[in-house]
Amino acid sequence: MSRVIRAAIFQTAWTGDKESMIQVHEQAARDAAAQGAQVMCFQELFYGPYFCQVQDKAFYEYAEAVPDGPIVRRFQALARELNLVLVLPMYEEEQPGVLYNTAAVIDADGTYLGKYRKHHIPQVPGFWEKFYFRPGNAGWPVFDTAVGKIGVYICYDRHFPEGWRALGLGGAEIVFNPSATSRGLSRYLWQLEQPASAVANEYFIGAINRVGVEDLGDNDFYGTSYFVDPEAQFVGEVASDKETELVVRDLDMAKLREVRDRWQFFRDRRPDAYGPLTAP
Amino acid sequence: MSTALEPALSVRQVLTLDRVLAGEPEVVAGAGQLDRPVRWVHVAEAPDVGVMLTGGEMVLTTGVLLAGDEEAQAEYIRSLHRAEAAAVVLGLGRAFPTPPDVMRRAADRCGLPMVVLHRPFPFAELTEEVQSRLVRRKFAAVSLSESVRTALTGLITAGAPLQRLLDEIAHHAGCPLVVTNLAHRVLATAGERPAVDDVLRDWERISRQAGGTEGDGWIRAELGGRGERWGRIVLCGYRGDTATGRLLADRAAEALVLHRMLGGTAHSWEEQSAQSLLTDLVSGVVPARQLLPRARAAGLPVNRRTFVPLVVRDIDPAPLDRVLRMLGLSGLVAELAEGATAVLLSLARDQDAQALTAHFATRLRSESGARRTVVAAAEPRITFEEVPAGLREAQHVADAVAQSATGLDLPAVVRLRDVHLRGLIRLLRDDPHVQAFAERELDGLLCGDRHAEQDLLPVLRTYLATGRNKSHTAQLHHVSRPALYRRLEAIEARLGVDLDDFEQAASVHIALLAHDAQQG
Repeated sequence: MSRVIRAAIFQTAWTGDKESMIQVHEQAARDAAAQGAQVMCFQELFYGPYFCQVQDKAFYEYAEAVPDGPIVRRFQALARELNLVLVLPMYEEEQPGVLYNTAAVIDADGTYLGKYRKHHIPQVPGFWEKFYFRPGNAGWPVFDTAVGKIGVYICYDRHFPEGWRALGLGGAEIVFNPSATSRGLSRYLWQLEQPASAVANEYFIGAINRVGVEDLGDNDFYGTSYFVDPEAQFVGEVASDKETELVVRDLDMAKLREVRDRWQFFRDRRPDAYGPLTAP
Repeated sequence: MSTALEPALSVRQVLTLDRVLAGEPEVVAGAGQLDRPVRWVHVAEAPDVGVMLTGGEMVLTTGVLLAGDEEAQAEYIRSLHRAEAAAVVLGLGRAFPTPPDVMRRAADRCGLPMVVLHRPFPFAELTEEVQSRLVRRKFAAVSLSESVRTALTGLITAGAPLQRLLDEIAHHAGCPLVVTNLAHRVLATAGERPAVDDVLRDWERISRQAGGTEGDGWIRAELGGRGERWGRIVLCGYRGDTATGRLLADRAAEALVLHRMLGGTAHSWEEQSAQSLLTDLVSGVVPARQLLPRARAAGLPVNRRTFVPLVVRDIDPAPLDRVLRMLGLSGLVAELAEGATAVLLSLARDQDAQALTAHFATRLRSESGARRTVVAAAEPRITFEEVPAGLREAQHVADAVAQSATGLDLPAVVRLRDVHLRGLIRLLRDDPHVQAFAERELDGLLCGDRHAEQDLLPVLRTYLATGRNKSHTAQLHHVSRPALYRRLEAIEARLGVDLDDFEQAASVHIALLAHDAQQG
């Protein structure tokens, strides 16, 4: 009997305040657990609006300590209660003025396992992220959770194949890609890049994007969250482009082995020839 | 019937025209390329003819300017090849009494069909004949395009449903037709049923693979408007030539976009698709097994699943769909009959169907704000063949619940075992003995007296449904207890019964249930 991981992702719209946003996500975690989900990832900066549409230091308030802030603690308790591995994409304050776009990973027993910090920070209209975040400096961690090996690669990171590869080399079986991306900008890439990365690295990817238009700008977040397998096939249907949706899918790890036995990309890669890629 | 244009003329076909045969044509090079389409016929004696061509031409020449210059002859052929000419036809005569070897070799090297005419004739006769055929073909394409467009526009303006439009397109195309959303979910199909089923059986795989090129008869056209794509129409295995298929697909796409824009948003195509599928399942006209490909193509997971048929009354499909999405449950939602919407849940085998149904019903109440909404649930089914019976069971439970006295607090999920006697009476409602019994028992209240029917019958209904609880009944009817007593006395007098006697009260209750079941 092969190992099947029941995994969940959740896309939703900004409710208008942080506390109700947190409650919506707590409810979604309960709904996922009711279906037997074992691991779940939320959308990028999950408890806030996508404030990078503007450059306003008032939003620095959304940052808090990881793992010692209240949100991580609150969700540690929930993870333990629901026996659910949780990936929490949030705004991290290491110290005043040192802020990161981060994802905290919590094991099914509530243990804090560590964090990933987004490496690639965009600075284009509607996505003024350099105003808010330092580039990530915590490497490419792969978390050995109760259900499997999990990696995280956040939003704009997805355009850079190197990080996907680093997570693959680290043994990731599922990589979550929490995002906030808008219709006009990237829609045509959304179902192209992650499936291609799933094939190149022969693992599962869960791609999450928020929905709706928020007060801070015109970005029309188009949802369509999905899981994709190592053959670039969507696992079940892609979520709605407008509505809140929980996506729960069974990811069969036998597929990962089958594909890697067929295509030996990790054997055939040539790191000895890739020196120019890391030249500064 | 399939509407097909005369295919584009190929080099081979031009060579079989009577006029050409009389010229004793001989293919001396590029014999493997004779199926190239001929777009136009061009007579040219200029040595630099290549610069005047745009591709697809059959070039006719006597070679008068090339005689004696072998380098020019080879370059002439190469320039035709670069210009993507379809073929070159050389009339033998004064310039070249025999096929020139240099030209033949050059044509062979670049795969350009080269034909010599041993008995040349005035080229004008050939250009006239070929070009009139080509023009006729273009005209036929315009004419087909117009007739298809006129037919479809006529249907749209007459308010025809989507299916009628698709049937018309399938009639022209002569092959299965599938309309999908961007997630490859099949929204509608048309064409002969067995052929459509063949296409749907393995839809998920073939929809993503086939049609990368159009040579295999899979012709797609995108559906979209106002800057956004929302689906596509696919001709599956079109047997005519690609140009005609594309023309049909484009006309079809235009019509579908127009239909959707004019149709408003009352029922999305997704809803219509689910409705047609669930209605067919409930009716039992088509065996469930045969509907399996449609269910799978509509996005419902069907392998190793547990199916839970539900029916909810007095609620639109939209909030049901929204709650399903919110909870991450897979299912189809559609209105089955006036006021009754069906939900077919598909769960993994290891999931607790009872618990998830209760979860869905509870969240439906909190999310839709309809605190009294009741979900009528059938027992879970583990094969798709059992789904129709399950849907009918859920429908039956929902109907039985709808007969319940208003104001009673019902649980969020109701099953067959919860409707007790009410369920049995509903099943027996058409029995003449039961009907006669109800008439007999309630005669005193159903005698045409408006006061009795409008005031006393509802009081009796509530009184019996509350287990003969007088204070609760008075409260629900907003009357004082003395007023209620007077009405109960009036009821007893009219019916000639003593409602404090259990057997007499039970008899009246059963009669009332039977009466209500006949009304519903």
